[in-house]
Amino acid sequence: MLSRVAESLYWMARYMERAEDTARLINAVTLMSLDMPAGAEFGWDSLLKVAGLDQYFFDHYEEADESSVMRFLISDEKNPSSIMASITHARENTRTFREVLPWESWEWVNELYLYASKELDGNLDRRIRHEVLQGIIRRRQSIVGLLVGTMSRDPALLFLSIGRNMERADMTSRILDVSHALILPSEASDDLLWMNILKALSAYQMYRRHVSVHACSRRVIDFLLKDRSFPRTVAHCLSEISRILTGLPDPEPVLAAVSKAIATLDSADGTALAKEGLHEFVDSMQSEMNSIHNALKSRYFSLSHPAEASETATQ
Amino acid sequence: MKIDFENNWPKDIYDEMLDGDGNPRPIARALYDHLASVGDDTFSSRLAAVDTAILTAGITFTVYTDSGNIDRAWPFDVIPRVIDANEWRVVEKGLKQRLHALNLFITDIYNEQHIVRDGVFPIEVLKDSKNFRQACIGVRPRFGVWAHVCGTDLVRHSDGKFYVLEDNLRVPSGVSYMLENRQLMKRLFPEVFGRYRILPVDNYTAQLHDTLASLSPREGDRPVIAVLTPGIYNSAYFEHSYLAQQMGAELVEGMDLVVPEDDCVYMKTIDGLERVDVIYRRIDDDFLDPEVFRPDSCLGVPGLMRAWKAGNVGLANAPGSGVADDKVVYAYVPRMIEYYLGEKPILPNVPSYLCMIESEREYVLANLDKLVVKPANESGGYGMLIGPSSTKAEREMFRELILGNPRNYMAQPTLSLSTAPTFCEEGIASRHLDLRPFVLQSNKLHVTQGGLTRVALKKGSLVVNSSQGGGSKDTWIVEGEY
Repeated sequence: MLSRVAESLYWMARYMERAEDTARLINAVTLMSLDMPAGAEFGWDSLLKVAGLDQYFFDHYEEADESSVMRFLISDEKNPSSIMASITHARENTRTFREVLPWESWEWVNELYLYASKELDGNLDRRIRHEVLQGIIRRRQSIVGLLVGTMSRDPALLFLSIGRNMERADMTSRILDVSHALILPSEASDDLLWMNILKALSAYQMYRRHVSVHACSRRVIDFLLKDRSFPRTVAHCLSEISRILTGLPDPEPVLAAVSKAIATLDSADGTALAKEGLHEFVDSMQSEMNSIHNALKSRYFSLSHPAEASETATQ
Repeated sequence: MKIDFENNWPKDIYDEMLDGDGNPRPIARALYDHLASVGDDTFSSRLAAVDTAILTAGITFTVYTDSGNIDRAWPFDVIPRVIDANEWRVVEKGLKQRLHALNLFITDIYNEQHIVRDGVFPIEVLKDSKNFRQACIGVRPRFGVWAHVCGTDLVRHSDGKFYVLEDNLRVPSGVSYMLENRQLMKRLFPEVFGRYRILPVDNYTAQLHDTLASLSPREGDRPVIAVLTPGIYNSAYFEHSYLAQQMGAELVEGMDLVVPEDDCVYMKTIDGLERVDVIYRRIDDDFLDPEVFRPDSCLGVPGLMRAWKAGNVGLANAPGSGVADDKVVYAYVPRMIEYYLGEKPILPNVPSYLCMIESEREYVLANLDKLVVKPANESGGYGMLIGPSSTKAEREMFRELILGNPRNYMAQPTLSLSTAPTFCEEGIASRHLDLRPFVLQSNKLHVTQGGLTRVALKKGSLVVNSSQGGGSKDTWIVEGEY
């Protein structure tokens, strides 16, 4: 497997995951905003904080109202992490390695891109928005299904899986990080906040089935950080990466970085973090993930020229 | 859907589907009847399905002037062109004969030059040849083959015969569109396939793979083959990627390859450096190796020529093959066939006038309004003068170009390219077309069953090049009773 191709595959999966996660997040948050009591303001800017794009947003927009924030996160080309931009990047990357994927996967990626370009254009009111974003999630899931169902467990598939898990772990930790910033009506209970965080990660149903019907802070924090069986938790993503790495040549330096991150994760205590220090802890996890990324880069991608377009899109 | 023969159908030109009286030729009858039986609505919905399929499949061809858009959809015409297998077998033989002779010529010209000494080929032709490569002198590639992949452009004249228009020996493209066109037809008009025995085309990629594999410098049954592409902005990137995928080869760019001190080619992989045995390069000679050719090229691989000359990597087509892909050298191909093979050429050339020869130049200059003037080394239909449709100013410009550099120009009579019914804005109308079969040579020779039929979508136009707005058709070689 060419280093350049490995890196493109990794980024393609990250962009795809970013597009899907953002779509899920927006849909969950939109539903949440409908539960607001009359007169209460919903802080759409909290979505910008999740993406780490709040400052950048205000360079281009005056006010963080629903329609501006939605346009910025969904279709604005100025935002390199918008859903449209992520899908475009994913497609451009796919173009450079069509030969390592089943031939029809290009058609499906292309179809997703054509769907997004057509549907994400213009102002999306809430009803249409939900439908269109579901359409994106479904198409992206079909692509994952196609790849998993028709590809050998070769390095191409492994780099795709690593990219997907890296982006997921990143998104989960970001959402945890802004939990304190999500603006909720003062009369709302703590439970409502944590329930919505679970929903934003499509984790509510599984949490209820396997952990508790009550979404209390310490349990949700423990679940999202340390649960090994739900596919969007930080622990699950990291252990997946660790498992996948063993299928690649000489993964030791990267494995070491992953083990270190897992050790940090194991030391986390939801009860304590619920009281204080969650933000600092998430910061340290983010820096562990950066180390994993850098280890991957120097071990597998560094023989090639850096994909510069990809670099600018990592926030 | 009716094919309206009375509607300005040119009667002095060979039509692939209709005879001089407007009746379908025997071979095309089943297709004709089928088209006639399909209602206009059905036909429109099939056309819409074709467009969607092309867009989704991302079958694209980049046009360089179309700035910013690297995804111009491939223009595909849904009405296939039908050719009798008995006729095709003769063409196939002719194509093999031609490529065989061309490869003998290239070896000879870079080595002993017997053909020059025997007075058959004037060496002056090569004096200013852009594609004669000093670096190739004395090289003898395996099997004596330089051009492993050749795209030969054929046209059918009003006499119903095929003529060779040119031999593309550098990096001919289009074969992936031939393969995709067949896939599209099967998907969209499966019922027509039941009416004919159409020879399959999809063994091409396996034959290409075997041709390349035979050039491997190492023993073993799974040589490492790479397709070298200039990258996603190249007009034929779709094809590079397609062929790599179909052959299970690596698609590499220049920056992925390196030639260290040991004169072997390696690619940079997640496992470190991995040796490459054969490179199917889709980059022109000029850009192939900055150590030898253009030093400013960043598409190529420094040291590639060293590795090739040391016999450590197979290169297809071999550098320097373009010496025979020259519209002046072209005029000598029939003589080459007789000289090297002692055979009569099976496929005729189009009569050609070489501006380097004084008497022929005078004829050309006196008849600029009737002839097609072509520069010796351009491809893609660029830099041509089409006499009958030219302006006075254009003819004056070409007069000066020719006098300034007579070696670089040749002229041919304007051929009446054959036509075929084609779906256009005004319904089904006649459009001119040519045919590009692909020929492979290593220790064996293969010819595609048919090839890429390119069609000029503009009314009356003779320019079929994809880079100039041409389209394409599926080409059916039909066997047996019909």
